[in-house]
Amino acid sequence: MTDWVWLVPLWPLAGYVFLLLSGRRTPEAVAAGVSVVLTGVSCVLSLVVFFQLGPEPASGETWLFHWLTIGSARVDVGISLTHLNALMLVVVSLVSVLVLLFSRGYMRGDERFSVFYQYLNLFVFSMLGLVISPNLLQLYIFWEMVGLCSYLLVGFWYFKPEAALAAKKSFIVTRIGDTGLFIGMVLLFLGTGGSFDFTAIFQAVSAHTLHLGWMGSQGLTTLAALLVFLGAVGKSAQFPLHVWLPDAMEGPTPVSALIHAATMVAAGVYLVARMFPLFQASPPALTTVAWIGGVTALLAALIGLTQRDIKRVIAYSTISQLGYMMLALGIGAYTLGVFHLFTHAFFKALLFLAAGSVIHAVDTQDLFQMGGLGRKLPITRWSFLAGALALAGIFPFSGFWSKDDILTAAWQQGDTALYWLGLAAAFCTAFYIFRVYFLVFTGQSRDEERTRGAHEGSWVMTVPLVILAVLATLAGFVNTPWNGHALERYLEHDATASAAAATPVHESLPLMVFSVVVGLLGIGLAYLLYGRESAAPARLAERFSILHAVSFNKFYLDEVYYYTVVAAGKVVARFVRALDRYLIDGIIEVGARLVGVLGLALKYTQNGQVQAYGVIAAFGLVVVIVVAVLGVGGVL
Amino acid sequence: MSLHPALIAFFIIALAILSAAISFLTLRKVIYMALAIGAVFIGCAAVYILLGAPFVGIAQVLIYAGAITILIMFAIMLTNHEEMEPPFRWTLQNGASAAFCVLLAAALLWIIRSQAWPAQGGTDINHGRSNPAAIGLELFQHYTVAFELVSLLLVVALVGAVVLAQARKEDE
Amino acid sequence: MDNPVVSVPTGSLLGLAAILFCIGLYGVLTKRNLIMVLISLELMLNAVNINLVAFSRLGVAPNLDGQVFALFTITVAAAEIAVGLALVLAAFRLRKSTEVKDLNTEKY
Repeated sequence: MTDWVWLVPLWPLAGYVFLLLSGRRTPEAVAAGVSVVLTGVSCVLSLVVFFQLGPEPASGETWLFHWLTIGSARVDVGISLTHLNALMLVVVSLVSVLVLLFSRGYMRGDERFSVFYQYLNLFVFSMLGLVISPNLLQLYIFWEMVGLCSYLLVGFWYFKPEAALAAKKSFIVTRIGDTGLFIGMVLLFLGTGGSFDFTAIFQAVSAHTLHLGWMGSQGLTTLAALLVFLGAVGKSAQFPLHVWLPDAMEGPTPVSALIHAATMVAAGVYLVARMFPLFQASPPALTTVAWIGGVTALLAALIGLTQRDIKRVIAYSTISQLGYMMLALGIGAYTLGVFHLFTHAFFKALLFLAAGSVIHAVDTQDLFQMGGLGRKLPITRWSFLAGALALAGIFPFSGFWSKDDILTAAWQQGDTALYWLGLAAAFCTAFYIFRVYFLVFTGQSRDEERTRGAHEGSWVMTVPLVILAVLATLAGFVNTPWNGHALERYLEHDATASAAAATPVHESLPLMVFSVVVGLLGIGLAYLLYGRESAAPARLAERFSILHAVSFNKFYLDEVYYYTVVAAGKVVARFVRALDRYLIDGIIEVGARLVGVLGLALKYTQNGQVQAYGVIAAFGLVVVIVVAVLGVGGVL
Repeated sequence: MSLHPALIAFFIIALAILSAAISFLTLRKVIYMALAIGAVFIGCAAVYILLGAPFVGIAQVLIYAGAITILIMFAIMLTNHEEMEPPFRWTLQNGASAAFCVLLAAALLWIIRSQAWPAQGGTDINHGRSNPAAIGLELFQHYTVAFELVSLLLVVALVGAVVLAQARKEDE
Repeated sequence: MDNPVVSVPTGSLLGLAAILFCIGLYGVLTKRNLIMVLISLELMLNAVNINLVAFSRLGVAPNLDGQVFALFTITVAAAEIAVGLALVLAAFRLRKSTEVKDLNTEKY
């Protein structure tokens, strides 16, 4: 059955081609139905592959087709099936199906409904292709394709200037990371003597045969790992390249749920996990990954405390959770990072879809215009609560298992600084997500105009919510002490990850209880401040006005970037423009003038007398014959 | 080199052709020019016959000396041409043309002189048949497609000439 | 008569053709009447025909191809002169002149 894995990405591709050919006038039901069914087939296939994949490392297979030859280097395309890839296939296709179904309700009546589905299908195809790539080059191609889909979908409502700007920003900022990834890829290609293949790279790394000019194996490994990580930083919105993700919330909410929560932004984490042997060979790179992850986790959580836009809060929580995953990878807990990716995909998609349901109902994203919606949107309310509890890491929701494992691993490895960083982030996380919960679903409405007519969407919107709520609640149980950490064992079957298992995590009840208590404290604080009507939040904001401003303005990072990077770019651009206008254009201008003057002079030879032309042709004939006779030696 | 009768005939014919051609260039009365060109055509036909190509020679007489010369005379009359060409003047164009033509002729003749030409052939190119029969076989065995294309060309030229020459309404 | 040994030297034939060709060229370049230019063109074609027929008999590999080609040339020349004269008539009707120098609409 695992031989069928190549079919998985092809179904969404078929959906994309179908929608491309059927055009804009495709009825909404047809576009959505075809997409959901085709992706559903992919999902079923992924599940079959996931469960069929045998336990031994060799059961993962690779199918390669020769693509092109560069010099002596052979580049293949194909499919690589490992346990990690199988898990990613399940996550991506499952979330995709639910989001595609949800979009049927959310995007109802949009002018470009079928185009939206077309882009989504293309994205699902690219994402599935990304996670089964057997080499870096193919991965990079799909990596750029998901970036392109993200650009198209963030800017889907391109007539809104903010959406167009956000699309541009997300594209440009991730490009910085992509450039790093590209350079890293080329370095690895040269270092291995001409191979993009993962296994070849890992072999070269473990045999210390990676070299390039004066750079030895260790130095090149670290450099390449850091550059690859830069790509992951851009895609997974890690500090300092996280600024694009909150702005990307301008896109339709299902897009945020699928691309900017569950799948594409997790591609960075996936990349690091896929390349894990490379990182393992370089302690400095691992430390960088861990610290970037930890700092991102706390920073984003702090910003999330004060945002007013419901989607932005969740976006910052996404950045924060991605930071957790990076942290886990950085401390060597490979399987835990992937585990958190797995659970996070469900509860974060759930939170976004629930937020989408709310936005659909009240048509605003401002938290302070909502309130008291719990009675009007019961399904949304309870599923959001499940997602929030999972995010806050409360037992027994899925987030508890994965997040707690990461913190425990950090503590047991002696990285106490990272542990406290993560714990602080966990506290903030619990606080801000329940701030959203209380502001939206409890209390009294703050804007009767908007909330009066609020009601649940149709079944296409509620069914995905319920399914995701169940998953968000239960997904953690795939990896508990009671079933012997089934997911970890599954992932450790990969040969690449076997080394990572060297640091097993021992559950520690005190640590578990402690982190749950911290989460509950965050929730309690949120209840105190926002659970009832009170002036306490405003007073606090006033008391700590500087801190509040810093958090609300996202640590002023956008401004810093604007006045440094963007301003510098503008100066360079202005210089280049001047160079182009005055130097290069000048040279061209002189050439053009010269030709023009020549033409003016020569035009008088065109007197329209055909016999005059004939005389000149005869002259030419004579010259040719004389040259032929004297110079070449004959006309024959 | 003994003076073979055919050789004498050739030189006489060549002299006639060249003098007719020169007079075509120098005569100023249009009708004389047409006559001179007819003489050149007939002279060429004589050369063909002398070279053992009687069919081409007869075709030359029929088409060139007959049809084309008559056609030209009609054209001259239809265009209401004055009787006399204007007198010749040495302009830059005329001088340059003359110089280049003389140069070209000199170069060609020099090439012809400097080349050793193959011996005069006695090969039977007609394969024992009469010349028209041999040409007919050649045409319909090897050049069938070309032959048909040429006939098509003639039809097109006929129609084209009619269309071009007929008076159009807007010209009147 | 069917298959005589031709006693005319090849060089003389080619020389005749070359001179005839140059006379025709001179006529094309200098004649002021369009009809005369066309006639000069015919002279040049005849010069070429002489060459073709001469080589048909006196070439390295004598065969009938030269004569067939000459026939084709004659036919095409007939077509050409018909169309050419029709064009001259049309031009004359348009400009009331058959002077070459009056056909200078393509002047700068």
